[in-house]
Amino acid sequence: MSLKQWLAGIGLAAALALPAAAQQGPLVEAEWLAQNLKNPNVRVFEVSVDPGVYERGHIPGAVNISWHSELVDPVRRDIVSADNFKKLVEKAGVTKDTTVILYGDNNNWFAAWGAWVFNIYGIDAKLLDGGRKYWEAKGLPLDNQTPSYQAGKIDLPAPKLSLRARLADVSKAVESKNITLVDIRSPDEYNGKIIAPEGVRELSIRAGHIPGAKNVPWGRAVDPQTGKFLPKEQLAKVYADAGIDGKQPIITYCRIGERSSHTWFALSKILGYDVRNYDGSWTEYGNTVGLPIVNVAGTVWQGK
Amino acid sequence: MQRPALPILVAILIVAGLAYAVWSLSDADSNSRALAFSLGLGAVFGAVLQRSRFCFYCHTREFLEERDPRGVLAILLALTVGAVGYLVVFGAWLPVPAPERLPPTAHIGPVSWVLGLAAFVFGVGMAVSGSCISAHFYRLGEGSPTAPFALIGTAAGFGAGFLSWNWLYLTSISAAPVVWLPHQLGYGGAIALTLAVLVALALAVLRASRVKLTPPAAASFDLDHVARAMFVQRWPAYVGGLAVGVLSAVAYLRVAPLGVTAELGSLVRTAADQLALLPSTLHGLDGFRGCATVVKQALLSNNGLFVGGLVLASFASALVSGEFKPRKPRFDEIWRGLLGGLLMGWGAMVALGCTVGVLLSGIHAGALSGWVFLAFCFAGVAAGVWARRRFAF
Repeated sequence: MSLKQWLAGIGLAAALALPAAAQQGPLVEAEWLAQNLKNPNVRVFEVSVDPGVYERGHIPGAVNISWHSELVDPVRRDIVSADNFKKLVEKAGVTKDTTVILYGDNNNWFAAWGAWVFNIYGIDAKLLDGGRKYWEAKGLPLDNQTPSYQAGKIDLPAPKLSLRARLADVSKAVESKNITLVDIRSPDEYNGKIIAPEGVRELSIRAGHIPGAKNVPWGRAVDPQTGKFLPKEQLAKVYADAGIDGKQPIITYCRIGERSSHTWFALSKILGYDVRNYDGSWTEYGNTVGLPIVNVAGTVWQGK
Repeated sequence: MQRPALPILVAILIVAGLAYAVWSLSDADSNSRALAFSLGLGAVFGAVLQRSRFCFYCHTREFLEERDPRGVLAILLALTVGAVGYLVVFGAWLPVPAPERLPPTAHIGPVSWVLGLAAFVFGVGMAVSGSCISAHFYRLGEGSPTAPFALIGTAAGFGAGFLSWNWLYLTSISAAPVVWLPHQLGYGGAIALTLAVLVALALAVLRASRVKLTPPAAASFDLDHVARAMFVQRWPAYVGGLAVGVLSAVAYLRVAPLGVTAELGSLVRTAADQLALLPSTLHGLDGFRGCATVVKQALLSNNGLFVGGLVLASFASALVSGEFKPRKPRFDEIWRGLLGGLLMGWGAMVALGCTVGVLLSGIHAGALSGWVFLAFCFAGVAAGVWARRRFAF
């Protein structure tokens, strides 16, 4: 073997060893992922909102997850059951050694929700920083073949229900005031000028927000140019300016619990705060009989 | 014969303008690329339709009245080529047709008596107005006196469709099955059945044919002959059929199934919504596959650019071939366009697409809805052609 081949071999070994070093933390860089697509210990999932996006070109080797059928319970209003989740990831060849990376369209909106579900079931899923938007902007390759992997075997721990807030938790938080509620919807929804954003059905009877909640729209956590999360220090400042500093536990919510997963990811995985996501969100809280709300604008559903 | 220079110059400018627009729309993100691709594909589609005069109605009428099989065979060829093309795409995207899944965005619509009625009415509308909607679009580029009125009528028909939707939805469509043949038969069975039916139809058409076809005289391959064959003479019908089949599969692979009514329907829906003419909710409409209409929020849409490219490229093509012949419409052309358009618009709204969006893209995808549209639309055309002859209008 020539010296050149030896060096190439060392380089290759170093490259294979690199993944573990380069992927510390909750986010992975597109440039790193592009180099690691063939790594058998990396499994990429796409969780996009728009149908047909994955099929017409995805990160090579990525497995598609249809969030509205595979990550939810089709009968109860609930996240996917542990059994079905286990089947889903085992079919994609995930084992205990797999590094799971999620990405999607709309600044990783639903991918972050996927990451929340993965984390509840004990898989420390990471997000591709910038998601599909950044990957495409960099001109990195896309593929339209659906991959199939040899099924994996994984034993999942008991679900981490501590990542999820339920209505009773939120109701208690309103009274106790030692939990910070973060409403990540637009200021107009928060203030009760509108019940739902344009193009979305009004599924709540009431407008407004949960008493005591602080409003930081989810998009503020990303750089609009790249779709990437802001650097950690800037991110901490955005939330600190709104009075969210991680000194007390946090509950995030939005309209149906998906966009707030994005903020859950920023606060919990990047900043390391104690955060639960309330997936019942405004469509549960705002419709519940007997709970107080704050409705600044005074908009009343169907009222004159 | 020397051709006038001005029309050719205008055509070159249009093509250059289209190319520039495609180039400037192409950006790094997939939405911009889809817009650029749609414009380019629409232009190619328009040129193909204009050059080969591919038209669902005209081809069917030529067969019914003159027993000329060439056009109908071209349609059957388009269906065959596209069905195979879709199968290639499905194989990559959805290797196993699992029962709980449908291929993304493919036009697989609900099957009910409403679909049959809509397709029949659409067929009658084609016979009254003299073209299907896609052909009216390319004829707009030829300066057809009827096409503008047919498209206005179609818009009005869409409005009527929206007004009747809620009742039809609650009466029938909400319970209608969405049947995708590969779910029942697997990919192999579905394509075998599709091809068998298409071959059987082709044989039936050939048996009924009464046209003696003479082989074309051999032409020499000099620049003049080739240029005339490309840009002036009508392309043989089968070339159109072949190209339409390929374009359908390519469109599905890259952007969305072919369809020509989504933008028109969306414009009507947006306008009617603004004017508060629509019911506040159109039940279930946005959950179905097909040429989806939306209340517009962005100026540019894939389907809008596709149709825009179609009309402009047809115009350029007609200028070069000398087929751009605008003239003042006669009274009968106006009322036939408006009435036929009205019928087609209602049918296309309620069926969630027209001969392109439901029949072509549906049969390509293995959707039962495509076949139902084909059968009832044919019946509608036959009835319309008979009525036009019987009552001489």
